[in-house]
Amino acid sequence: MPEERNEYNMYEINICHLYPDLLNLYGDRGNIIALRKRAQWRGINVNVHSVTLNQPFFPENYDIIFLGGGQDYEQEIIQNDLIVEKGAEIKNAIENNIVFLCICGGYQLLGKYYKTWDGKEIEFLGALNLWTIGSKERLIGNLIYECSYLKDEKNDGLIVGFENHSGKTYLGEGVEPLGTVIKGYGNNGEDSFEGARYKNVFCSYSHGSLLPKNPLLTDYLLSVAIKRNYKDFVSLQSIDNSIENQARESMIKRLLL
Amino acid sequence: MVTGTNGKTTTSRIIGQILHENKTNYITNKSGANLVSGIVTTFIEHYRKKEYHLPKTALIEIDEAAFKVITERISPDILVVTNFFRDQLDRYGELYTTVRGVREGLERCPNTQLILNADDSLCVSLAENREKVLYYGFDDNAYNNQIENSNSDASFCIKCRTKYIYNNHVFGHLGSFSCPSCGYSKPLTQVTCTKIPELNSTNSTIEMKLDQYGKIRTTINLPGLYNVYNALAGTALGYQLGCSTKTIIKALNTFECGFGRMETIVKDNKNIRIILVKNPTGFNQVINYLLTEKGNTQIAFLINDNLADGTDISWLWDVDIENLQLISDNTSVFYTSGVRGEDMSVRLKYAGIYTRKISYIKDYHELITTALSSMKENENFYILPTYTAMLDLRKILQKKFGLKAFWK
Ligand SMILES: [Zn+2]
Repeated sequence: MPEERNEYNMYEINICHLYPDLLNLYGDRGNIIALRKRAQWRGINVNVHSVTLNQPFFPENYDIIFLGGGQDYEQEIIQNDLIVEKGAEIKNAIENNIVFLCICGGYQLLGKYYKTWDGKEIEFLGALNLWTIGSKERLIGNLIYECSYLKDEKNDGLIVGFENHSGKTYLGEGVEPLGTVIKGYGNNGEDSFEGARYKNVFCSYSHGSLLPKNPLLTDYLLSVAIKRNYKDFVSLQSIDNSIENQARESMIKRLLL
Repeated sequence: MVTGTNGKTTTSRIIGQILHENKTNYITNKSGANLVSGIVTTFIEHYRKKEYHLPKTALIEIDEAAFKVITERISPDILVVTNFFRDQLDRYGELYTTVRGVREGLERCPNTQLILNADDSLCVSLAENREKVLYYGFDDNAYNNQIENSNSDASFCIKCRTKYIYNNHVFGHLGSFSCPSCGYSKPLTQVTCTKIPELNSTNSTIEMKLDQYGKIRTTINLPGLYNVYNALAGTALGYQLGCSTKTIIKALNTFECGFGRMETIVKDNKNIRIILVKNPTGFNQVINYLLTEKGNTQIAFLINDNLADGTDISWLWDVDIENLQLISDNTSVFYTSGVRGEDMSVRLKYAGIYTRKISYIKDYHELITTALSSMKENENFYILPTYTAMLDLRKILQKKFGLKAFWK
């Protein structure tokens, strides 16, 4: 494993894990681990910071901000803090092109509202033009979707994850899906969209964890984040992904063949 | 009845031993048959029309999600609850839903005596508005956690949602919790672990204080802190039944390890040690135990994602696999196998294990042969399977290595 590469030593990435003590379900911290490791393997300096309830939040200090999913109980605890205390800063950061990765509950919270299956409407942050409607069934299972921007001669652009949500999310004007569902439900099981993209915000229902098994997406997020800060940055050097790809491809084979 | 996320089977086995030493005839369900169907089967199997010496006692291990359903038919005289941790969430929804389900079941049995883990804030919440409660737990000075597990299942007050303060942390969210806002806190215990003089790879010596009886000291043939909790739970039940300390101590001493929780098979003077893994907290405990291994060793992870394992394997990322780096010098190979073995390889790689030490071998027979052939006598080879992987593993050990049904 290459731990030190001089040409990358000049770069530094600051990652912020929002509410790590509350939104930490379904192995979402694997995403932080993947970002950190893949940057470090190239010799990039990485710092991971935690910001939780009642703590001041200065998003301009960070290159990547991560928001995971939680149980309903824990999500309710952070709701007020996220919307009232940190809401304006989050919106500001999004408009300033800071990279966000938001999974499941974190994804829903950035939207406009959540309507429960019996009609109660809960107002969310409204940073992205999307909304979620609760359903009685849960959308659970392995998930494959295609991201066209990750596709080239060498790569199939397929992302593998595991979804588990009862909310169905719908995208409005100005928000693009993260990918197109090949197998599984995705946002709502109806429009074949999975996740959301707006500026440098990436949202998905994929646990799995998402990033470790999909190194192409991880590198994509890292590249976007570095480029935002270092104008001379061209690309990340490629590293050996055979272990990751074996796991990814074996799931693709299992679901598609 | 015994319920909870982790330790149900071991606790039931310990209680079984206590009943046996106490000369109490009892019927019990087979390990794993802890859903409503399995429990009904147990009662039917023991039904006789005209027999005079039928046992009057049933010892039932019950799945925490099935408890609500079974209480529509039967009320236990005593319910032991071991703990609540995140387990196979895709099957049960959410942790708090599970706790709520047990509470709803309990509403149907107001006369049931509860025996609860006082160190688990979720467990203690079941005692609300109930009179017959006995608590077991750790004294603050009994054990101090050295390795902090980063992921805690319940760090916020179940009553008012304020972050708990801990006087002492045992593992996971277990410890002496108290809420600075509403005052909800760890209750006084009647069965208390006061000291753990010895905790090694095969057994544990525990000192306990039983309210009416005073101090006792005993050794159990089980490693790991989590088994100290199981011993406490069993002891609390014996205490509740009025068994003598002599009976309890004898039962704990003679108790033999249960189904897959830690089995050792000796092949050509080499030890194959099998430990079941099924959720992050249990897995973390197994890793803490592996860290006590000082000799040369090899470790295999057999990960399946069948219904009985949990179809979502993302929980592997909630396990502190990183701690294995501490023994990676004396671990020559980390094998992975099972339907999701390749995912485990990824987990190991991102936990900082050298990729040249990670070896995915699909076939269990080949994996075991490879490991054994590179081992010296008296060395340990650890196999950590999920539930259905363990069933497959046994078949192979029986068929290909001619090992008898050692787990019976
Ligand atoms: Zn409180």
